[in-house]
Amino acid sequence: MLRRLLVVLVVLACAAGVIGYQATRPPRAPANPRMFVPSPQFFTDFSPSFRTSIADAYYLMMVQYYGEHVNGDGRLDSLPALTQLVTSLSPRFTRAYLFSAFALVDAERPDVGYALLQRGLKANPDDWRFPAYLGFFAYRYGAGKDKDLVAARWYQLAASIPGSPSYLPRLAAVLAARGGDQEKAVLMWGQVYLAGDKYVRKRAVNELNGILPTDKAARMRAVAPLYQTMPKAEADALVGELFKGYVQ
Amino acid sequence: MNQVLAIALNTFKETIRDRVLAVIVVFALVMIAGGLWLGSISLGEQGRMMKDFGLVAVTFFGLIVAVFIAASLVHKEVEKRTVFVLFSKPVSRASFITGKFLGLCGTMAVVLAGMGVFLFLLVWAVAGDATGMLLVAVLMIFVQLLAIMAVTIFFSTLGSAILASVLGICVFVAGQLSHNVLSLTRLGDNPVTKALSWVVYVVIPNLSSVDVKAGVVGESTLSWGEIGVWSLYLLAYVVVVLALATLVFRRKEF
Amino acid sequence: MTDPGSALRVSDLHKTVHVGFRRQKVVILKGVDLEVRPNDVFGLLGPNGAGKTTTVKVCLGLMRPSAGAVELGVPGVSHVGYLPENPYFYDYLSGREFLGFCGRLFGLDPHLRRERVEALLRDVGLERAADMHLRKYSKGMLQRVGIAQALINDPELVLLDEPMTGLDPVGRVEVKRIIQELHERGKTVLFNSHILSDVAELCTRIAIMRDGRVVWTGAVDEALAEAPSLEDFFMRVVTT
Repeated sequence: MLRRLLVVLVVLACAAGVIGYQATRPPRAPANPRMFVPSPQFFTDFSPSFRTSIADAYYLMMVQYYGEHVNGDGRLDSLPALTQLVTSLSPRFTRAYLFSAFALVDAERPDVGYALLQRGLKANPDDWRFPAYLGFFAYRYGAGKDKDLVAARWYQLAASIPGSPSYLPRLAAVLAARGGDQEKAVLMWGQVYLAGDKYVRKRAVNELNGILPTDKAARMRAVAPLYQTMPKAEADALVGELFKGYVQ
Repeated sequence: MNQVLAIALNTFKETIRDRVLAVIVVFALVMIAGGLWLGSISLGEQGRMMKDFGLVAVTFFGLIVAVFIAASLVHKEVEKRTVFVLFSKPVSRASFITGKFLGLCGTMAVVLAGMGVFLFLLVWAVAGDATGMLLVAVLMIFVQLLAIMAVTIFFSTLGSAILASVLGICVFVAGQLSHNVLSLTRLGDNPVTKALSWVVYVVIPNLSSVDVKAGVVGESTLSWGEIGVWSLYLLAYVVVVLALATLVFRRKEF
Repeated sequence: MTDPGSALRVSDLHKTVHVGFRRQKVVILKGVDLEVRPNDVFGLLGPNGAGKTTTVKVCLGLMRPSAGAVELGVPGVSHVGYLPENPYFYDYLSGREFLGFCGRLFGLDPHLRRERVEALLRDVGLERAADMHLRKYSKGMLQRVGIAQALINDPELVLLDEPMTGLDPVGRVEVKRIIQELHERGKTVLFNSHILSDVAELCTRIAIMRDGRVVWTGAVDEALAEAPSLEDFFMRVVTT
């Protein structure tokens, strides 16, 4: 009886030790912003049947890497290589391009994001989102006085693709007409909010908060065009976030 | 034919009742369901993640089941001396090998169908974009594993079950790299190495000719013609390998 | 095809095997001559390692002879029944399923197969255990189902390797009865056994093997005429 009790106590003590050890491990040190990223050729050569699975694995790794560093040390050194790997292995993985393009902006490489979207468009010529994003990138991150026209051309291309939203031609027209910068910017960020994931939406809201007037009435006038270029539900959601804290 | 079917049915009963098989299948289902978690961190690509990783799980666990059961099929009969019961009756070695293979095919069909249907229902319920292509992909995994099962049975007639299972897995990996071997046949000037490369290229089953997974996730458009020809190639490969296994097994004494 | 006078004829049978990593040569049979006549109950005797089981395996085609010849007096193995020594069967099958499987291997039609299976289960006293998995069978029960599978095809020639092993006295009496019935029905039986009292009781003729050769062959009566018991005769033959 005593022996049995002793055995039970030993086992319980060991179990407590196992749980206690795990519970008291220090938090993981921040991951190295520079991670080893194999070349796409390696995987294409050695596992063609699993390239999409490998692309998916690296995509998830890329999302985790971005999430970990963007709010941490802010360093995204390996992001360009990761985006190159994922989109090379899986050229029709649309989400990877669209996420990566904005993630590369945070890595201070909007030029790489722009080039990535162009590659994505080549691999997915029937997806209107690529030229639409290219239009945004051209407008927001482009240089030179022709950037509005370049953006307008991209939006026109997006509008010409079957299945594209009906308000794209308006965007193109606004840009081509060189309308007020603020109106264009509001419309652009509205498009970004519409097509983006949670990270991108958060950025869109932040950017809009930065450019919209704080006066409530002026702010309402500024956001009104969003309803002409976004579905009502999404426009309501965005406007709701932009007017958080404002008295009704 | 009667003997082949009798042995096949017997083998099916033997393998489907194996508890180890049940454990492996449960693990496989858990892994497939694990795609749910991966999907949740994929920023809206849940369907793609579940399908892709689910098919990888089906391939991986299907391979384990195929190789380890195929390796022990012949070996167990010899070890446990049930071969005396079989070959003291008018049962040819060819009937034995064929019956064993067909019995295992039946078991693998049940296992893969179960995993495939589970994956399909999970994707349909969670992501809502399950298509028949997913089940076609599972069928193609089954056809690939037929070739690996045949090769493993062949190796098991030569040596131990462990060696046969290791070699079966090696052939699966080599089969994924078949196109690399083809490149070797075109490199360099030495006709001997080129000829050897060609022999290796033909001997190893080409398991990477058609990427059905890519078709399932929308990465490529699948040609039914290509899938059909590839399937026929693999079935022909099975026939040749089983014939070789029979030739080797004929030399065995008990 | 052998002459109608023999159920089984073995002529100058040699068998060499190569064992181990270094493929060491081991000569098991060194020129076995044997003749089993139709309707014989033939006892094949000998000390362990004499080559009895190997001789039977070569007769069945489980092993190939290195030299010599085997001639079956029946039209092939479909007319032969065999019980191996220390039999092991498919433990996930029930007794009934296992006998049904054996019947299928002989190509028996379903009706005949079912009839034979039930009759044999009765004959060997396994009716009640017919639906139990073989893994739950005792050694004696396995031996009985082994005899049953050897008879599923109603063979003309029956080869039994140590048929009494593991049987209790009741089981041994039943097996002896089965062998006697086979003999009465005109079948030929060849069995190996170390239980010489059973051999003396059942066999019409015997052969004694030693060191890969047959050293004595003849009727049981002849052996008993030369020694007080079959054990004494056996010891004399194998030790000289």
